Amino acid sequence: MELLMPGLGLVFWMAVSFGFVLLILKKYAWKPILQVLNQREKQLAKSFSDARRIEYEMSQLATLKTTRVAEADQAAAEIIAEARAEAERIVAGAREKAKEEASSIASKTDELLEKYKKEAMQEIKGQLSTLSLEIAEKVLREEFSDRDRNLKYVSRLLDDVAIN
Amino acid sequence: MCNSLVSVYRSVLPSIRLISVIVLLSLPVGVIADSGDRDFDARKVIVDHVLDSYEWHLFDIGQHEFSIPLPVILIYEGKPYLFLSSRFHHGRQSYSGFAVGTEGRSRGRVIRVLDDGITPDPDASFIIDLSITKNVVAVFFSSALLCFLFVGIGKSYSRADIYSTPKGLPLFFEPLILFVRDQIAILAIGHDKYKIFMPYLLTVFFFIFLNNLLGLVPIFPGGANVTGNISVTFVLAMFTFFTTHWYANRTYWQHMFNTPGIPAFLKFPVPILPVIEMAGAFIKPFVLMIRLFANMTAGHMVILSLTSLIFVLGSVSILMGYAISPITVIFLIFLNFLKILVSFLQAYIFTLFSAFFFGMAVPKAGH
Repeated sequence: MELLMPGLGLVFWMAVSFGFVLLILKKYAWKPILQVLNQREKQLAKSFSDARRIEYEMSQLATLKTTRVAEADQAAAEIIAEARAEAERIVAGAREKAKEEASSIASKTDELLEKYKKEAMQEIKGQLSTLSLEIAEKVLREEFSDRDRNLKYVSRLLDDVAIN
Repeated sequence: MCNSLVSVYRSVLPSIRLISVIVLLSLPVGVIADSGDRDFDARKVIVDHVLDSYEWHLFDIGQHEFSIPLPVILIYEGKPYLFLSSRFHHGRQSYSGFAVGTEGRSRGRVIRVLDDGITPDPDASFIIDLSITKNVVAVFFSSALLCFLFVGIGKSYSRADIYSTPKGLPLFFEPLILFVRDQIAILAIGHDKYKIFMPYLLTVFFFIFLNNLLGLVPIFPGGANVTGNISVTFVLAMFTFFTTHWYANRTYWQHMFNTPGIPAFLKFPVPILPVIEMAGAFIKPFVLMIRLFANMTAGHMVILSLTSLIFVLGSVSILMGYAISPITVIFLIFLNFLKILVSFLQAYIFTLFSAFFFGMAVPKAGH
């Protein structure tokens, strides 16, 4: 029974010291501790949500990057194909032009050749007639230098005519 | 076969060693039991140990008691009395008409005695006894220790960078503080209003936990049965009661005097339900008071009973004292571990139930 009877003195001192402990700890212990814990948790939550947001953004960026890279690849491929086609066209055009030029040069050359040939022929003809005249003159002169043989030849001609 | 026996022996070797050490160390207990008086009164020893006392008993050597005398402060018939408890000579003598009672309700309390120094004065008026008893000293000590510990921790928190990992004492106490906040306050009261009750809940948790643990320490300044004293648990329960009703909101009072959803004939003209609700408001802290007191006192009594067993059997026969002491010591070690668990558990339960009462006092309107 004596165990169950609260004692006035102990109740008084207990109430006083517990009250003091409560007030002191409330002000100097629990307030700063809970404040720091609260702040830390807020910071953690913020860091966590930041991390999640950044992760999301990173994944967005990654998909963006892949699409951009794909687009760029495609564009590059297009540009290369275009360039190649252009180059081919240019080469083909150049070849065509070269061929044309070559053929035109060839035809001009032919014409010139023809012309020069004609001119040469003309000149040759001219000189040939002069030469042949000169030769003929010389031959004739040679022929006519030998009077006896000419006379014999004329007499033989005349003999033939006389027979007829 | 041989190998397996050796391995079994090796695996149990540490426990055999431990038990041997315990047995050897506990043998002198039997010698102490033998040196004591032959008529050992276990009941008196146990009750005296769990009760409050005007002196702090340290130890006995032979027939001589060594104890720290504490101040006795009395107000009797308007006159103050202040003297050291050594004047009572361990309760065997009276001083200026006061003595320590030995019987019934006044056992262990200062009473007015007649001139013979023994007989209680039947006409004595009420003595206002504000003595600094053993439990008061223990309360002062644990209060000072609590303030020292947690004000230091609070300082280290206000200095620290909030990102820094706690070290030392904060590292040990932070999980407990978070436990009280998350598993007690937020659980029982809810996110909206738990904050106003946090200082009280943390203080009451650590006060009970520390005093429970100090009660397990058998040497000064531990060993006082503070949380197993009804006065202490009464004050704690009153703090819970007043805190509950100080912060109680409109819904709580409406629930008490005009419970919604209940037929009117239960409230008027005979207010059956309000009476029940009001009784409940007092029964709740009363149960808190009894639960903590009974658990802690019972634990102390079990430990003291087991210890007394050595002395009881030792006073019958010295051999029985020797025989029982190792068994008792092994049980006592187990019990002390159990008491560490109970220390935490009772602090948790008191705090949790207080938090539940606070939660009921501040419900959301319309609940």
